[in-house]
Amino acid sequence: MREEYKLLLPAVGVLAFLVAVPTFYLFYSSLLRWFLRDPTGPTFIGIENYIRLIQSADFSTSLIVTLIFSSASVVCSLMLGLGLALLFSENLRGKRIMRTIIVLPIVLPPVVVGFTWKFLLSSEVGVIGAYFMRLIGMGDLSLLGDPKLALVSVIVADIWGKTPLPFLIFLAGLTGIPPILYESARIDGAGGWQTFRSITLPNMKKPIVVAAILRTIDAFNSFDVIFVMTKGGPGMATHTLPMLGWKVGFYYFDVGTASAIGVMLLLIVMFLSMPLIRSISR
Amino acid sequence: MSRSLIRAIFLHTLAIIACTLVVFPIAWLIISSFKTMYQIFQIPPPLIFEPTLDNYRRLFFGGQLMNAFFNSLIISAITVIVSLVLAIPAAYSLSRLNNAVGRNLGFWILSVRMAPAFAVIVPYFIIMYYLRLIDTIWAVAITYLVFAIPFTTWLLKITFEELPKELEESALIDGATKTAALIKIILPNAVPMIASASILTFILAWNEFLMAFILTSRDARTVPVLITALSGTHKLDWPIMAAITTISLIPAFIFISFVQRYLVKGLTMGSLKS
Repeated sequence: MREEYKLLLPAVGVLAFLVAVPTFYLFYSSLLRWFLRDPTGPTFIGIENYIRLIQSADFSTSLIVTLIFSSASVVCSLMLGLGLALLFSENLRGKRIMRTIIVLPIVLPPVVVGFTWKFLLSSEVGVIGAYFMRLIGMGDLSLLGDPKLALVSVIVADIWGKTPLPFLIFLAGLTGIPPILYESARIDGAGGWQTFRSITLPNMKKPIVVAAILRTIDAFNSFDVIFVMTKGGPGMATHTLPMLGWKVGFYYFDVGTASAIGVMLLLIVMFLSMPLIRSISR
Repeated sequence: MSRSLIRAIFLHTLAIIACTLVVFPIAWLIISSFKTMYQIFQIPPPLIFEPTLDNYRRLFFGGQLMNAFFNSLIISAITVIVSLVLAIPAAYSLSRLNNAVGRNLGFWILSVRMAPAFAVIVPYFIIMYYLRLIDTIWAVAITYLVFAIPFTTWLLKITFEELPKELEESALIDGATKTAALIKIILPNAVPMIASASILTFILAWNEFLMAFILTSRDARTVPVLITALSGTHKLDWPIMAAITTISLIPAFIFISFVQRYLVKGLTMGSLKS
């Protein structure tokens, strides 16, 4: 065996073991009627879990919430990230320290991001939710208690926490554009907007696609921030698919249906990430 | 005033506003951790108040936080060490293998990295339940390896690729094995890269919530799990919460300036290189 393979073997072996068994188990248990604490044990029921799941109102509500949450969070964080990256590719004083500040939220525990915003928006103690809302005469509105506002609130918190990702990607992308292109555009008398449309955007295609895919995967898996802020409520206003999976699997202990949700999330995320993975590992 | 000066002032103002929007929520949280319950409930919030260390005192002598802090540290450390030991040789090998086997394995490793946490945690919960490992740090650390090994391996692979092949070539020509070249030549040259990869893996493990939340209940709770448990209680103890979350930010604050250069690579897994 070639020496390179020997060096690879331990990692690949351990990982294969850690991945293969659970993956097989996940698909298998999604075909079972199985309540973990029920002494009768599992019964094989084929794809019934999937059928019941897709027909349930909870599933469609969670799917819609996930789609709204993801699209809003992804689009806003991408636009903000692009704006910030353009700003930070200018000559600014104290750029390095400011860049570190902008990047900071991405390394914070998402649970803390959620709590920080819950603390700001709380109608009890929040500097925004209690103080500022009263200041502008909307003191009876509860930012985390009203269904629509709660969804907006968790989206805002998620954008705050995740914008550093597109920001960093776009910043790296912008430095890759040859300055000569801007130079010639300037000589041709192109304005700022024209330069942006005809030089910046076309050259930023790849970073934008990469950032969009990574952010979409991340948003589809969102759990921590929402869980801390609203636990999926009020009602089902912020109830995403992973939240539904958690409730079904670890609150009702219906592991069969939870596995079915896991399989679906796995398929959605793999479908989204395949093109990216293929292009990276080429 | 010249146009360029106005433009500069405008741009700087925007940048400062952006920084303020990032700093304010965190700063407010940290400041509030020095308030009493009474001060936290005061509206409008007092700008000047007499700071108290009471919350921190209650934390350190309460036991709960110290236990969670300790669990988080051990779990993150195990995750980092095990994945480094496995990832360093694998990453070196992948960075030097230029054939279909290497590419396919790389593809597979990356796919594992992208797998949704929820799809991982359901079977792991069942397995750990039957192994009677629920609420132990082992259950959490083993599960973390599922994302940590691919993450560390791929990150090191793309950084090792930047080391010029000439570095080890002469040693290989002199008859050294690949393993010897890795230990004697690559490792000493890759210390900063390995350090950054370890830090990023540590932060990943330190910040993780969903898996730890499902696999632990009391004894093996990590800091994020404790934060969530306490923030879900009916009568929320805001000052204590502010203090716990402030402490949980320490690793991020210490490490952010060290790992900035590798952050993009870690977050994008190298998908930006053309």
